[in-house]
Amino acid sequence: MHTLWSAWVQYLPDYWQGVRVTLELTGASLLVAIVLGFLLALARLSTLRVLDFMATAYVEIVRAIPVLIILFICYYSLAQAGLKLSGPVAAVVGLGGFYATLYGEIFRGAIMGVDRGQKEAAAALGMPEGLVMRKIVLPQAFFAILPPATNQLSNLIKDTSLVFTIAVADLMFQANAASANNFLPLDMLLLAGVIYFLFYLILSKLLARWELNVQRRRG
Amino acid sequence: MGVAMHYVGVYAAGALKDFGLTVVSTVLSMILGVLAAVGRLYGPRLIRLLISWYVELIRGLPAILQLFILYFGLNQVGITFSPLAAALIWLVLYGVGYAVEIFRSGIMAVAQGQREAAAALGLSSGTTMRKIIFPQALVAMLPPLTSFVVLQLKNTTMLYLIGYADIMYEARLGVDATNQAGPLYVMAAIAYLIMSFIIGRIGMRMERRAAAYR
Amino acid sequence: MSNDVVVSAQGLTKRFGSQLVFEDVSLDVHKSEVVAIIGPSGAGKSTFIRCINHLHPFDGGTLELLGHTLHGGLKSPSRAVLRDIRTRVGMVFQTFNLFPHLTVMENIILAPLDVKKVPREKAVALARELLDLVGLEHKKDMYPKRLSGGEQQRVALCRALAMEPEVMLFDEPTSMLDPELVGEVLSAIQRLAKQGMTMILVTHEMTFAKEVADTVVIMADHRVAEMGPARQVLESPQTERAQQFLRRVLEPVETMEELSAAAGQGGED
Ligand SMILES: Nc1ncnc2c1ncn2[C@@H]1O[C@H](COP(=O)(O)OP(=O)(O)OP(=O)(O)O)[C@@H](O)[C@H]1O
Ligand SMILES: [Mg+2]
Repeated sequence: MHTLWSAWVQYLPDYWQGVRVTLELTGASLLVAIVLGFLLALARLSTLRVLDFMATAYVEIVRAIPVLIILFICYYSLAQAGLKLSGPVAAVVGLGGFYATLYGEIFRGAIMGVDRGQKEAAAALGMPEGLVMRKIVLPQAFFAILPPATNQLSNLIKDTSLVFTIAVADLMFQANAASANNFLPLDMLLLAGVIYFLFYLILSKLLARWELNVQRRRG
Repeated sequence: MGVAMHYVGVYAAGALKDFGLTVVSTVLSMILGVLAAVGRLYGPRLIRLLISWYVELIRGLPAILQLFILYFGLNQVGITFSPLAAALIWLVLYGVGYAVEIFRSGIMAVAQGQREAAAALGLSSGTTMRKIIFPQALVAMLPPLTSFVVLQLKNTTMLYLIGYADIMYEARLGVDATNQAGPLYVMAAIAYLIMSFIIGRIGMRMERRAAAYR
Repeated sequence: MSNDVVVSAQGLTKRFGSQLVFEDVSLDVHKSEVVAIIGPSGAGKSTFIRCINHLHPFDGGTLELLGHTLHGGLKSPSRAVLRDIRTRVGMVFQTFNLFPHLTVMENIILAPLDVKKVPREKAVALARELLDLVGLEHKKDMYPKRLSGGEQQRVALCRALAMEPEVMLFDEPTSMLDPELVGEVLSAIQRLAKQGMTMILVTHEMTFAKEVADTVVIMADHRVAEMGPARQVLESPQTERAQQFLRRVLEPVETMEELSAAAGQGGED
């Protein structure tokens, strides 16, 4: 036990560095995923057939490709084609672009799930379309969005662990580097596991508490 | 494009390996998953607790980390696997964690009234599960099961990291040899697209059949 | 009754795809007039009143209201016209359609604030006044889910009235309510009629239509079967189709008259 502990303590600064990179990547990718996902949802709900078609094609194709390959394409394939992205940028583009398909479907489902009578009632009060979306549809869709969106965020954090393959020094990267250094891969991977699991626990506990609150308030 | 053509055969062989691994691990993890789901729902308290912890652990950790712990980590304490064995064990252990939840929510989705009606007819709990609950639960479970199989298929992309010679492994080798990262990785993506598409189709057909009674 | 026409439909026709909903519906509604539309299910009553505030576009004919003239067909009215119509025509729905994420007060002041740009204090004051009139002042901070159906519908009425509309549309405002809650909503609508509000309402409450409406329109088989002064149409209908419909509907109502009268009183206190 003593060796485990001392091995951990020795690498804590490296891991801290890795955690920061993991969280920054997660944040940036989430932002891309939400913005692009919202646009995809709007496009798929739009009456313009071209927009709907293009967004549908994007969603159906991209979400069927494994994340690892998407990262390779963003990093290696684009570079060969002349568009050289740095590791972190490629990671954000890849993860954001992939998760946008998942968030887009969450948004679309939630928006469609809002009762049609709600939109009619708002229109009958003279509210223009944008206002109806902002004040009536989205706030109600929000309650349907948050649980699956949190689950996907938790998946996103886990998927950032793949970016070490495109030379980004995230938490997983640090764990691998430490293992290679001290030949104690089990100890070093377990430490990374503890940290990833903490993120997971925090997110699921936050979500559970929020759901309970909503239930109580609007029961 | 010449490069791409050259690799089609190699990719096909790799794809077959990935696909086969997905199928075998799916079957195994579904069998174990059903047992674990029943244990999670109706087993003694300790069993229920252990299974729910297991599920949390599998779902809470990155898949790649689980693979590395199994393959590289256990090596530290003298347990070693061949890449194939590690791949299969990893996919099954991981798969069970997801299958339990799918089966559990499928079973719970069947109305309580069905259970009561079966009990009122004097059916045993085993018969109730097999003949009443499970066929109905299947309808609710098939869509998540299909995504689960696709998820497992996608997980096989990570296996090159432990030296399992599948599509990604060949792609990496190919890129090292030819520097053609463009076509080679895009081809890998297409191979996975085709395989996910096939799985999706099979899932859709099964859904239609299972929901025929509705 | 004054002579100024507020809503005038001429030969209005509406289809959903190839399916005809109604055709050649003509109707003049004067200021302070109460028009009740009755008729069998599927006759197109709801769709007709939804065409008035353009929740549905219509295919043929002309609709004049509040100084605007709309023609059936492809081109929809401009945003400004649509906004003007929707802010000056209020609507109450069969299923209430209160916004579940907003409190009673927020439901009522939302459109006055965001659409009409009324100052907040004024909107709140008006909302309180309206809620007070329907006896719900004390529920102003509750969420709709906590209210009974009758209370929800009275709030929906306040929400529409908070825009200070010149015309009110009602689509079967009481058909989703338990019988003992119908009275409280009907009496609120009746009070509104007495104050001189112009109203078009689709209803299944024959007694109520007879008492409150000036004009009754019977829609059946995708057209107007008969139209005229309320008592005349309901008591001695001229056309075959109207007689047939009323025979079927009025018989059970006869025996239930006491019940609905009692419910009507229940709401007064
Ligand atoms: N959005 C729609 N799309 C297609 N058809 C519709 C739509 N709304 C209504 N209809 C059809 O139009 C016809 C008239 O419907 P409407 O709701 O106006 O009837 P109604 O007279 O209000 O009946 P009820 O008394 O049952 O409310 C019906 O046949 C209905 O199926
Ligand atoms: Mg109707």
